[in-house]
Amino acid sequence: MRPGIIPAPIMNLPWRLLLPVMFIAGFGCVVLYSAAGGHVQPWAFSQGLRFFVFLGLAIFLGRIKQNSWKAVAFPAYIIICVLLFIVELFGAVKGGSQRWIDLGFIRLQPSELMKIAIVLAIARFYDIMPAGEIRRWNAIWIPLVMIGLPAGLVLLQPDLGTATMVIAGGITVMFLAGLPLRLFIGGGLAALAALPILWFSMHDYQRNRVLIFLDPESDPLGTGYHISQSKIAIGSGGIFGKGFLNGSQSHLDYLPEGHTDFVFATMFEEWGLVGATLLIAAYFMIVRYAMQVANRSQDKFGRLLASGLGCTIFYYFSVNIMMVMGLAPVVGIPLPMFSFGGSALMTLMICFGMLMSIDRANRRSGQFI
Amino acid sequence: MTTAPPVAKPTRLHVPGRRQQVAALSRERLMLVMLLFLAAILGIVLKIMYLTFTGQSFDDRAAGLTSLPLRPDIVDRNGETLARTIDAWSIGVHADRLLTRPEDLAPQLAVLMPEKTADQYLALLKSRKHFIYLRRRAMPELVEAVNALGEPGMAFAREPERLYPQAELAAHVLGWTNLDGTGVTGMEKLLDKRMTDPKYAGKPVTLSIDSRVQAAVEKELAQAMLNFQARGATGIVLDVHSGEVIALTSLPSFNPNDPGRSPPETRFNQAITGVYELGSTFKPITIAAAMDAGVVTSLSKRYDATAPLKVGKFSIRDDHPTKRWLNVPEMLVHSSNIVTARIADELGKDRLNGMFMRLGFGEPVSIELAGRGRPIQPVFWARTTTMTAGYGHGIAVTPMHLAKAYAALMNGGIMHPVTLLKREPGAIVPGTRVISPQVSYRLRQFTRMVVLEGTGKQANAPGLRVGGKTGTAEKASQGGYARKSLVSTFAGVFPVDDPKYAIVMMLDEPKGTAETYGYATAGWTAAPVVRKVVARIGPLLGIIPDARKDIPLEDIKPLIWHPKEGEE
Repeated sequence: MRPGIIPAPIMNLPWRLLLPVMFIAGFGCVVLYSAAGGHVQPWAFSQGLRFFVFLGLAIFLGRIKQNSWKAVAFPAYIIICVLLFIVELFGAVKGGSQRWIDLGFIRLQPSELMKIAIVLAIARFYDIMPAGEIRRWNAIWIPLVMIGLPAGLVLLQPDLGTATMVIAGGITVMFLAGLPLRLFIGGGLAALAALPILWFSMHDYQRNRVLIFLDPESDPLGTGYHISQSKIAIGSGGIFGKGFLNGSQSHLDYLPEGHTDFVFATMFEEWGLVGATLLIAAYFMIVRYAMQVANRSQDKFGRLLASGLGCTIFYYFSVNIMMVMGLAPVVGIPLPMFSFGGSALMTLMICFGMLMSIDRANRRSGQFI
Repeated sequence: MTTAPPVAKPTRLHVPGRRQQVAALSRERLMLVMLLFLAAILGIVLKIMYLTFTGQSFDDRAAGLTSLPLRPDIVDRNGETLARTIDAWSIGVHADRLLTRPEDLAPQLAVLMPEKTADQYLALLKSRKHFIYLRRRAMPELVEAVNALGEPGMAFAREPERLYPQAELAAHVLGWTNLDGTGVTGMEKLLDKRMTDPKYAGKPVTLSIDSRVQAAVEKELAQAMLNFQARGATGIVLDVHSGEVIALTSLPSFNPNDPGRSPPETRFNQAITGVYELGSTFKPITIAAAMDAGVVTSLSKRYDATAPLKVGKFSIRDDHPTKRWLNVPEMLVHSSNIVTARIADELGKDRLNGMFMRLGFGEPVSIELAGRGRPIQPVFWARTTTMTAGYGHGIAVTPMHLAKAYAALMNGGIMHPVTLLKREPGAIVPGTRVISPQVSYRLRQFTRMVVLEGTGKQANAPGLRVGGKTGTAEKASQGGYARKSLVSTFAGVFPVDDPKYAIVMMLDEPKGTAETYGYATAGWTAAPVVRKVVARIGPLLGIIPDARKDIPLEDIKPLIWHPKEGEE
């Protein structure tokens, strides 16, 4: 290794991941600063602080051996399932719905962690399973149960958005593991046929959101307000945006939740198409990094985990952006790292930690081959 | 640091070919996923482009609030604001998206918006409903205070609010709008199309009303209503040459800023919806018809009023019996029913009713407001019907009908359509002749005599030359007339030497007071209101009080017989 001014441990960090991550988080803080009317309080400062804390955590997780993830996969999955169950009980006692456990310093949302744990557990399952078993019945029903149990618990909270993410993450790993393609096509058709049943089992407000998604202008001042307003914000942005601190839609509070779920619209009004393109490109670079890590991995577990996490990251940001633009129902998924809020940030940083860990394992194993 | 390579367990090494195969499949799947993702991102980017280049922009909206411009103002004839739209806000809450504990938030809301208790707010916040309105029409200060609570689940929306800064002034003319900003009644309803037409955005609507005159009329009528414990009161001031309504009021009134709070009966517009038998105020109309038809050949011709007039079982009597023979001017001065009945009888049903029809008593008044009352006409014209209709019994019209008829009879004989919208200065006003200018001149002389020497003395505003006629009618009730329930009216014009404005003041069921010696008749109740109103509005309308001016009465005065001193 060449001696340089920059110490080797820093040089060796996977900058292809960290640069887009820092870009997104930095850009996010700038937008939050503007959304607060040009103040670091109440959002930008604490978001920036949180980012650095969790970035440290991610780098630390990146130093953990890949095999350790194998070891924790099932225990973590089981513990989080239990936590979900406890939350459900708590909620029942409190007479309402509660999604988190208050640990004092942080409100832990088990459903948030489940988005990772499901990928980890399913990846581990296919890792243990002998390659020849992949076309057996066991390769299908066990993962389905593993996905169904936590998804059901999350759905009971009720949190349709997270439940969908958990299911999507698990199914994606099944797909990546190499299950026959016809299963997914058949399953997709079956899901389509089951839509009416899903419809009747949904809560009123969930149904409402789907209806509004299909026709946001039907209720421009009620539930469709979010979508209409965010579309207006995007329409106002144009190619180059109105400029930093000039977004009237968000500053005048027309745009509800302009700093959380709808932060993309806030950003768009001020930074326009250019800002949106850069942001999406940065997210995509992260996903691409995950896929490259998966591709280089010599190990089934590493490959499945890295690609599964990459997909989870992709779902996270794409569902949010589609929601803001009216391409998906309003399901309450934030734009990770960009929105104000710690949960999504923590989830993503754990993902990055695992990806870096697999990346390290790839490089190391490469030396031996 | 570990040095152990993460190699698969040796147990699985016995099928290397299979393993390679699975790995290759897995990479293929990875490629597939990446292609799908790229397609999704392409979709997103296309949608963003679509929104960027075709989407509704905030600036479009600022120019015209979701394509709806602010409702234009309504102003009076002098440009004073009667109705204005201001920016207000609505405050709502997404109860399913609260970050604050409802227990903490509810008391804070109760402090800011005390219309609900903390417990009620708590119940709302815990309902987990997606959206609940907490306050419509909130002022910006309140919105700011609620926003400062820092709860992202609160939602605010701009909501233009219609304000009537003069509160109850001309409420029946203006009407009001509902929460959606649509006109419900009054001019707001009539003008709704124009008000929402972007072509007219920012251009106020000018009414014919003069808010200063309107205020004077409302003030004096309200005072009289209180004084005489009347059930209601109506006042109309009409420009006799243009047909513009300068003031129109119906009391008790309501506040259009909060119409729901006032009792429903206050929304009844007596001036254009209520039909009343207006009694002796009809006598000038009968005389006009008779003179126009040539029935009254000479002003000195006398008619027998020595005793009640008996027609079959029917008997017509005078309220102030003179027990002499009276000529036409005397008949009006003393308001003789007997003489009017004799003249109406001579005139006949066709010619009398013909005059009523020419004056528009056969249909609702054509004016911009809704709810125009249809006059009640005699179903069967017996001989007595003609006689009683001559002095305003058996036929019921709205006060607006009467004002319009008086304007036509006194302005030289031309009837103009009435309107609540200001006419352009110099605009040609359509008109139809109803009587000759000569008859109109005589009527002005007669009604001036009524005010100078007859039942209308109390209407004589010094120097402002009021001419008019009182009318006291008993209200019809259950097949007969209720002696104690009166409708007291004064109808007239001023200045009578060059008529500019017609005025009608009506009190519904006034009671006599000590000051009026117990009388509730029009001469004691409605006439004084006219004096006070005209004294106030005359100078406002550019009529200078001048005691030297008057209509020439030299040819009329000698016709009025006065008892000599000491003689009864």
